[in-house]
Amino acid sequence: MPRENQDVQDNIPNTPAAPAPTATTATKKPLLVAKGPDGQSVLKRLQSELMALMMCGDPGISAFPEGDNIFCWKGTITGSKDTVFEGMVYKLSLSFPTDYPFKPPKVKFENVCFHPNVDLNGAICLDILQDKWSSAYDVRTILLSIQSLLGEPNNDSPLNTQAAALWVNQEEFRKMVQKTYKPA
Amino acid sequence: MDEDYEDGHRFHIDDQKNKRNLEIGEMDVDGSNRETIFLKNNYLVKNIGAVVRDLRSLGFTSMTEDAYASAIFSLLKAKVHNLAGDDYRALVLGSIKDWIQAVPLQFLHALLAYLGDSFDCDSMSSGLKSPLASRPSCYPGIDFPSEGLVRWQLRLEYFAYETLQDLRIGKLFEIIVDYPDSYPAIQDLKQCLEYTGQHSKLVDSFISSLRYRLLTAGASTYDILHQYVSTIKALRIIDPTGVFLEAVGEPIRDYLRGRKDTIKCIVTMLTDGPGGNPSGLGNAGDSLLEELNRDSENQESTDYDDDINSDDKQAWINAERWEPDPVEADPSKGSRNRRKIDVLGMMVNIIGSKDQLVNEYRVMLAEKLLNKFDYDIDSEIRTLELLKIHLGESSIQKCEIMLNDLIDSKRTNANIKASLPQPSLSGSKLGGTDVSLDILDATIISSNFWPTIQAESLNIPASVDQLLCDYAKRFHEIKTPRKLLWKKNLGTVKLELQFEDRNMQFTVTPVHAAIIMQFQEQTSWTSKNLAAATGIPVDTLNRRINFWISKGILAGSAGSDSDDHVFTIVDDMNTNGLIHESSEGLLAADEEGERSVASVEEQLRKEMTVYEKFIIGMLTNFGSMALDRIHNTLKMFCVAEPSYDKSLQQLQSFLTGLITEEKLEMRDGLYFLKK
Repeated sequence: MPRENQDVQDNIPNTPAAPAPTATTATKKPLLVAKGPDGQSVLKRLQSELMALMMCGDPGISAFPEGDNIFCWKGTITGSKDTVFEGMVYKLSLSFPTDYPFKPPKVKFENVCFHPNVDLNGAICLDILQDKWSSAYDVRTILLSIQSLLGEPNNDSPLNTQAAALWVNQEEFRKMVQKTYKPA
Repeated sequence: MDEDYEDGHRFHIDDQKNKRNLEIGEMDVDGSNRETIFLKNNYLVKNIGAVVRDLRSLGFTSMTEDAYASAIFSLLKAKVHNLAGDDYRALVLGSIKDWIQAVPLQFLHALLAYLGDSFDCDSMSSGLKSPLASRPSCYPGIDFPSEGLVRWQLRLEYFAYETLQDLRIGKLFEIIVDYPDSYPAIQDLKQCLEYTGQHSKLVDSFISSLRYRLLTAGASTYDILHQYVSTIKALRIIDPTGVFLEAVGEPIRDYLRGRKDTIKCIVTMLTDGPGGNPSGLGNAGDSLLEELNRDSENQESTDYDDDINSDDKQAWINAERWEPDPVEADPSKGSRNRRKIDVLGMMVNIIGSKDQLVNEYRVMLAEKLLNKFDYDIDSEIRTLELLKIHLGESSIQKCEIMLNDLIDSKRTNANIKASLPQPSLSGSKLGGTDVSLDILDATIISSNFWPTIQAESLNIPASVDQLLCDYAKRFHEIKTPRKLLWKKNLGTVKLELQFEDRNMQFTVTPVHAAIIMQFQEQTSWTSKNLAAATGIPVDTLNRRINFWISKGILAGSAGSDSDDHVFTIVDDMNTNGLIHESSEGLLAADEEGERSVASVEEQLRKEMTVYEKFIIGMLTNFGSMALDRIHNTLKMFCVAEPSYDKSLQQLQSFLTGLITEEKLEMRDGLYFLKK
């Protein structure tokens, strides 16, 4: 049953290149199926992940359910020290499918992030959010991965070629990051 | 001529003052004696009468009146002060009234009679309301009291009431400290206030003396609570409606809320009685709860439980009951006739909620039960039954389960022991003695209903451990599928230390026992090795081992390492005494910090840390939030243990606390993270 649900509402391919408008609708859809048959265990899992995330207190990462829907979270990542993103605060949106954690959540940047693996609409190219996803990951590991992706981009499969090309020149890159940055 | 008379008048006043003492002595004189005084004074009265008449004919009516009135009042005032004084154990109002009859009224009667009763009294008494509805029936030695004389009597009595009231109000703090010995003084004050209606004077004066004398940093919380209870009881007599009590109690309650140990003291007072009170105030024996219970039982039959009540006093009280609420009463609080002032309710009022009281009691009860040697919980059951009457059954359900655990434990314990073949199973040797299950009594608790129990790592001696295993196995056999999980750091151990020249017996915690057991095989340990052997963290070990050092069993000395100590067993008796005395204080300080159950404050702090993290988490992601949004979000997502159950007000004060800690800030009703 969850399988079918997934097919219906999750027909957007899980690629980082997904066009922005579709991505937006996708984030809304889990709202409708939040009360699905498997909703209870997903709910429990997300609640305990929230609890764990709140209690662990990792610096620079945070996320919290938005409004009254535990399937839609807002995330916050602060660029790590000694990277070009140091001190920059990025907002993310995370939306969890009803068969989470068997499927990864959709994660995108809410404000512009000048980064080789983030496109202009905020979509992220990160393997653990796609084919390398495992149910052992959780919100905390996702946020930590994205935080480390900022400092260590994968320039082999860039979404933003301009950023990938500029990466070699860290000073210029830092200027570009600051120029394009818009607080969410 | 005028001057002469004036002098004569003055002389009279002085004369009266000089005779004051004499008259006090003759206060209770019988009729015939009164007659002689009357005759003796007759000459004076005639003199004064002549003066008054002459002055009046000269047009100095009011001046002469003022003169003798003020003389009489100053005399009366001195009389009241003399009779009432600082003794609160006797009723004085009656004697004062008798005296008014016996002395000033006789004089006035004679004077008015001499003046031919043409006395114009409207001017002086029109402003006075008449507190006595009917004319007093008896004037000794006066057959037909004139209108003027009655007015004089009312005026004098009112003045006496007011004087006595002022006197008592000024000393109300002491009177309440002495309560219930000072009951008569309270009764007098109550009557005075009924005539004068100056209750607000009482409230103002009492509050200021409370602030000055009680609500200071130097007063112990127990003392404040005792005074609060006495105040409740005393003011309940003066004013059964509780209106003024409400006003007086408020500053005490406010102050007590600011003290951290208030809840603990209240619970101790309620359940342990004055035994738990270090300053030794209050009467020995019963707990406050027992007393309250007695009161409520008594109140059902008589409404007042003081044995001073004579029949007419009771009748008086009964007659009083129908009176309407005082004008100051808050109409929203219902009629006084049905409202009983509940001391416990007022205590709970300080704490804020019954739940907090019950919670604190639960922690104290757990502590008590866990440290019990036998399964004797009769007094606890009694206390709980009393609490049940006052707080309702549902709120103390968990406490009941705790007591039931003890009762069950007793049975199970007996069962397990009976079903085990006696010596063989655990024939292990411990210090040359057989260890059998006989020496083990277990308290089996349903941990879900008990307060959080502090876990502490501890390796207990193998033989005892084996014993516990056997016991647990047996338990599992009897109570399948339930299993016994030992909390090895809880409970008490009775042990005897045998030295060459002496035996010593101790009752200690398992931690202490485990420590000293290690010295059986090896007489000297470094703290690090000992910590490893007993499984206790080094700092805890260093703290706990002070117990044995203070008892003179062990001696500590600095080791090779700066933070490593060497502990050696002391075999020589002579050095003991010295060490013993010097370390006594250290022990007391140590024991203070040792508790097996997490206190209410600790639990609350733990909860609050979780909420704080959630609040910081949501503010990190949403930037700013209003109070009710934070409240709703916590309600929705903070659902795991401990789930969010605070009120909006509690959250607000918590957030205010975070602002003072500079973690948050607030602008336009929105909360932000402090950057």
